Amino acid sequence: MLAELPGIERIRKRFVEMLAERQTQIASHGLAAWDATTVEEIKGNLASAQAILHQIAGSAGSLGFEELGRMARKCETQIVDHLAGPSANRADCPIEIISELDGFVAQCRKEIDAHA
Amino acid sequence: MRILAVDDDPIILELLGQFVEIIGAHELTTAPSALHAIDMLGDPNLGPIDCFMLDIQMPGMDGIELAQHIRNSSRHADTPILMLTAMSDKRYIDAAFAAGATDYVTKPFEIAELKARIGLVEGMVKDRQQRTKKIFAAKTIADQATHMELFEPIPIYDVDNVIDYTAMENYVAQLSRSALFGSTAFAFTIREVDAFHATMTSFEFYSLVSDVAEILSDTLVDHQVLMSYAGNGTFVCITESGWRPNMGGLMDAVNFELSQTELFDNNGERVHPRVSSGEAVRLIWKSGNSVMDALGQAHASAEAASVAHTKSLNDFWQNDQQA
Repeated sequence: MLAELPGIERIRKRFVEMLAERQTQIASHGLAAWDATTVEEIKGNLASAQAILHQIAGSAGSLGFEELGRMARKCETQIVDHLAGPSANRADCPIEIISELDGFVAQCRKEIDAHA
Repeated sequence: MRILAVDDDPIILELLGQFVEIIGAHELTTAPSALHAIDMLGDPNLGPIDCFMLDIQMPGMDGIELAQHIRNSSRHADTPILMLTAMSDKRYIDAAFAAGATDYVTKPFEIAELKARIGLVEGMVKDRQQRTKKIFAAKTIADQATHMELFEPIPIYDVDNVIDYTAMENYVAQLSRSALFGSTAFAFTIREVDAFHATMTSFEFYSLVSDVAEILSDTLVDHQVLMSYAGNGTFVCITESGWRPNMGGLMDAVNFELSQTELFDNNGERVHPRVSSGEAVRLIWKSGNSVMDALGQAHASAEAASVAHTKSLNDFWQNDQQA
């Protein structure tokens, strides 16, 4: 079905270009959340990472990057659940979230390299 | 059909552009944020918009607030709004319907689904143009010539948690895709609505239905309820909150409020509408069509209760005369 779209290749290319920038932003927000010492800093950085993950999760699957979309969704859900839960008010960022983000960033790099 | 799509992700806007191009016969205008969209809508040169597609999660003003803003403008009070939602947005869907959304499309997009939804919206746009003409004609002229059928599911504007009947059907359909535990359908019917309909102008009848909607909405304000006017004097309601409504008590509360509210027809005569309530139908363990059937069951039971109430009054007077 995707092949029916006349400009799909151009959009995929733009998605990969944006992915390079987005994965850097996600990685830096993840690191900042990990290094942060206040609840507000942690929450703010995780929320920023979640907003970018949300965009990737929404479009990746439509462009043939199903696995990347699934991973983005998983990271996003993990952050949303954390921010809505009781541990959101602790001044440490869960290692599980950082580890999931790390795996996602590695997958982004793989996709970027594959389409270079 | 002219569509305005609002999404902060440029990739989604480009994809929508491609989808709309292959579906054909539509024109897509895009905005990267809710505030941009509001600016565009304020531009007198924008021209008519027949359908909105709004992303739910956007930085700043989100799609739900934007839907509310659109619904508050008389120009787009009736324009279909399709929400663009990711799976993780499910928790916002109730709020989106309450804000005036007509339906939603899930990301990542499937061409077939998007095509089907846009096709449905296109049909609605045509139906609504007819219906809106009737209501606004009736509003402006208060005329006798404009006729609204008794069975028409008239859209009610500006009443909290009252949504269009098509949106209600879409809402119920999405309920069947998710957990139904705690969901209950129930309905109220305006007693002797056929007599009101037969003696009132279209505008008077529309006003009566709106006033009853307002009182129902006020009575149910403490519960998480969405409701819709389904035609024939009946309002169908759905709650997902786990609340088990006591229908007898609710009916009394609504009728008490109606008795305390002064409603008049165009001749200044006071009208005294009252409602009957039907069964509260729990939606647990139901799926697919049986959810829609449950809504029908709630609807039918309210109408039956209204008929039974009228009949019991008639029988009472007849027996009294015979005695």
